[in-house]
Amino acid sequence: MDGVDDRQHADEESSTGEQSPSLLTIIFDTNPAAWALLQPTLSVSSAIAHILVFINAHLACNYTNQVAVIASHCDKAQWLYPTAAPQTPPSKKQKSRESRNDYDEDDGDDGPVNRNKRARPNGDHKRDTNGMSSGSQLANSNKYRPFRLIEEELIHNLKTLVNSTSPDTLQEKTSTMIAGALTLALSYINRRSQEYQESLTGIASSLADQSANQAVATDSAHRTNSLQSRILIITLSPSTDLAHQYIPIMNSIFACQRLNIPIDVLQLPLPPDPNQITLQKAQPTTQASTSDVTPTNPQPHQTSTVFLQQAADATHGIFIPAILTPPSSSAAQPPETLQKIASQSLLTYLLTALLPSPATRPYLHSPTLISIDFRAACFCHRNVISLGYVCSICLSIFCDLSLQTLSEEGCLTCGSKLAIRDVGVGGLGKTPVVVARKKKKKTRREGGGSNVGTPTPA
Amino acid sequence: MADSPQSWEYLEHLQGVELNRLYRSPPSTLAIFRKILSGLAKHFVMTMLYSPRPTPVKDFELMVKSGNAKERQMAIDQLRRYSIIKEATLRSGKAYALSPDFARSLRQVIGGGGIEGQPFGEVVSPATPQPVSIDELDDYARQQWEGILGFMVGSSNLQELQESGEELPPPGQGVIELLKAGRLISVQGTASRGQVASITKEGFAFVLKDVNAQIWELLFLYVDNADQLNMDKIDVLSFIFFIASLELGLAYSTASFDRAQHQTLQDLIALGIVYQPLAASTNGNSKVTAPPYFYPTRLATTLTSSSSTALATTSTTLGSSLQPNSLSHHAANTNATPGAGSGFIIIETNYRLYAYTSSPLQIALLSLFINLRSRHPNLVTGKLTKSSVQRAINIGITADQIISYLTTHAHPQMRRFAAAEQARLDARKALRTSGPDGVADENDEHDMRVTVVPQVILDQIKLWQLERDRIVTHTGYLLKDFTSHAEYIGPCNYADELGVLVWKDDKRHVFFVSRIEGVQRYIKDRREAGSMS
Repeated sequence: MDGVDDRQHADEESSTGEQSPSLLTIIFDTNPAAWALLQPTLSVSSAIAHILVFINAHLACNYTNQVAVIASHCDKAQWLYPTAAPQTPPSKKQKSRESRNDYDEDDGDDGPVNRNKRARPNGDHKRDTNGMSSGSQLANSNKYRPFRLIEEELIHNLKTLVNSTSPDTLQEKTSTMIAGALTLALSYINRRSQEYQESLTGIASSLADQSANQAVATDSAHRTNSLQSRILIITLSPSTDLAHQYIPIMNSIFACQRLNIPIDVLQLPLPPDPNQITLQKAQPTTQASTSDVTPTNPQPHQTSTVFLQQAADATHGIFIPAILTPPSSSAAQPPETLQKIASQSLLTYLLTALLPSPATRPYLHSPTLISIDFRAACFCHRNVISLGYVCSICLSIFCDLSLQTLSEEGCLTCGSKLAIRDVGVGGLGKTPVVVARKKKKKTRREGGGSNVGTPTPA
Repeated sequence: MADSPQSWEYLEHLQGVELNRLYRSPPSTLAIFRKILSGLAKHFVMTMLYSPRPTPVKDFELMVKSGNAKERQMAIDQLRRYSIIKEATLRSGKAYALSPDFARSLRQVIGGGGIEGQPFGEVVSPATPQPVSIDELDDYARQQWEGILGFMVGSSNLQELQESGEELPPPGQGVIELLKAGRLISVQGTASRGQVASITKEGFAFVLKDVNAQIWELLFLYVDNADQLNMDKIDVLSFIFFIASLELGLAYSTASFDRAQHQTLQDLIALGIVYQPLAASTNGNSKVTAPPYFYPTRLATTLTSSSSTALATTSTTLGSSLQPNSLSHHAANTNATPGAGSGFIIIETNYRLYAYTSSPLQIALLSLFINLRSRHPNLVTGKLTKSSVQRAINIGITADQIISYLTTHAHPQMRRFAAAEQARLDARKALRTSGPDGVADENDEHDMRVTVVPQVILDQIKLWQLERDRIVTHTGYLLKDFTSHAEYIGPCNYADELGVLVWKDDKRHVFFVSRIEGVQRYIKDRREAGSMS
């Protein structure tokens, strides 16, 4: 009688999980200051070339796989692919993009000049990313057309982005807008999965249907009949300055956790360079934090990506602190060899560790970091702290610097009166702050402003 | 269910040398990688793709969690079956290496460097004199395909088709030969006196499949018969994969094609897979010549898609193709939900069926397993009964085919209802698990999934089939004459792990497997290991 029960039939279908489409959203850190530091080992153009190979590999895995790329720049988060269209309503544009024939249109818009701007993964790594001129390469049609169109669009947008960055903005900001990019990615994923649901069940005509669809998407994101989405963050900024985006980043992380969207992080290492220190010193607000934190932790990459480690951990993603150069005798090898090794290892990380789709991952050993840095950033000075004060009402986190204000004025977020015994550092039986679960806060006071002139305890 | 695996397994029967020749063409490599391999196998390929050395067997074991050894073995077996990996040695240990042809082609596809020629086709530019719109292409493809299906079904003397006076374009002689070769139809009579074709059991099974599976079945038939047309099997296959990698709505040049490819192209035109606008030649004579370019139709561009969504798109335009608004003249108002609404069948839990269609072909198909009651301008009603289902089973249609037909063509209303039910179920489950007293019967509903077609219908159709089918046949290999229990139990357990074990008898030391390759290798390896020690 085993042929009767059709539930078994349904299970068999679901076991071929890789058939369902997966949406990969890549957040690419384009912070110019950081890339300038990495230039000797890995140039932007060669990194982009390898990321394009990775994108192609992802698209090659399934006919219906989709990709989106967001640049997390120094002053804004910007779409690289698909191109944002501010003039037309975005939903319409996206809908039309679903049909593959839309590529024509795009191609027509960009004109034939664009065909020449193709990154060649095996080509020259030294290409000037700022220059719009690139060698004219004819006969591009020997490449699978969908791949080529994505490449062209991505490179074109990246060039526009780089060209639009003025020296002034570089002077002002040296961080990267991970939080904004995460938010963009989440909203895009949300839209695509809704569209996907609609394409499966027909046009959802009533509101009730839509909410039902949403419920399906959120409660059973692991099911085969929903779009499997994930986010890959490729970052290299010395991200202690991510601390000032602590709250939006954590919000995005919790949203991803709830929606079952794994966040994978590939952390490219910055070389120990004297410039790095000046880079960080350019940030007056975080100066205290860097001086606090850096000496305590021997490995620089571990300090720099506290929140991204937590992001990968909370969402069951993969966190990889990449090592691009051979550990020993790096001086012995000529720079060309080093560059080659660096770009090859980047590709290896991408293809071996980060390519498997969420459907395949349960079978594999996850190559993620085991020891996670769970420290949080305080709400007042954006310092990364391992010990701090937590408001018992709103769970806001504060560091030692605002102890005085806390005891005098109460919680800086919600204003509750707090009974703080007069103690110094380590005086209380303080417990480590594990994960800051942020609650709603109505008015956030200017953290830095209110504390000017506060005497600093030891 | 949606893919037709038996047709893809055709590729397994090719020799390693032939497969390697196939892998020399990047489009074929991409299609096989995308369409056939499992997720884990894809991961293995990607891991090995840029590696200069063979990957030791141990590395595969390290990559995969120990609980998933079965999946790992299946993935490796699959790669070996398609000659994608082969054994190699690395530091006197066992290792696997990618087939060089496969690796090179796949690297070219995703890396894009160093391809000679234009494996993905040459777009004609500037645009052709009279560009063909996608709608026109869809129309053309649908007409051709409907012509073929209509010819098959129409030949079965079903009343509905004969009553309606609508004419479908008859398929070409080549297609008819193909159908005959595949034993989908049988033809009596001679060509001069007019042939009478009648559909066979396989033909019934064929017409109930979804479009994608149908096309592939015909294409594999075509490849199989390529020898008779003096063409090389592998060349034809890689040409088909090439056509499948093209993009809808663009014109491609035929300039670089050789004679065999031109011939294949003509045959694909007859199937509606590509479209070549015919233009009267300019030099006066009335002969119609083919321009040096062609358009792939939607049938072609969705060939290598493997996901249900892509299939749904195919179904939207073609599958249910035979759908009201395409054939009938009062098109606009027959189908209430155009576009995404691909289906037209509503079936209720009381076995009543309402099909919003006026296509004679669909009605003919429905009447195979439904007792039709009444017919209205855009609606047919009927009832699924034991006698109607068993009648269908008698002529060779299986329960699975009926179910898959009903599911593929289910009305959007049914899909929405199922989705809403599913959401409600999930919500209830979530509530119960979070609630204080709820863990009790959680297990019952753990794997509950709401099917589009009501569960009771699915069960009943299967039950009706089971009343007839009491014997199940498996083709495979019987392994016997083991000298000791120890010698028997090893391969037997291994076969079980691989999932190929069908039956075993521990007392008589006999077991039966559906696939022999893996077990054979295992026994050989053990024998070698035994002789060494």
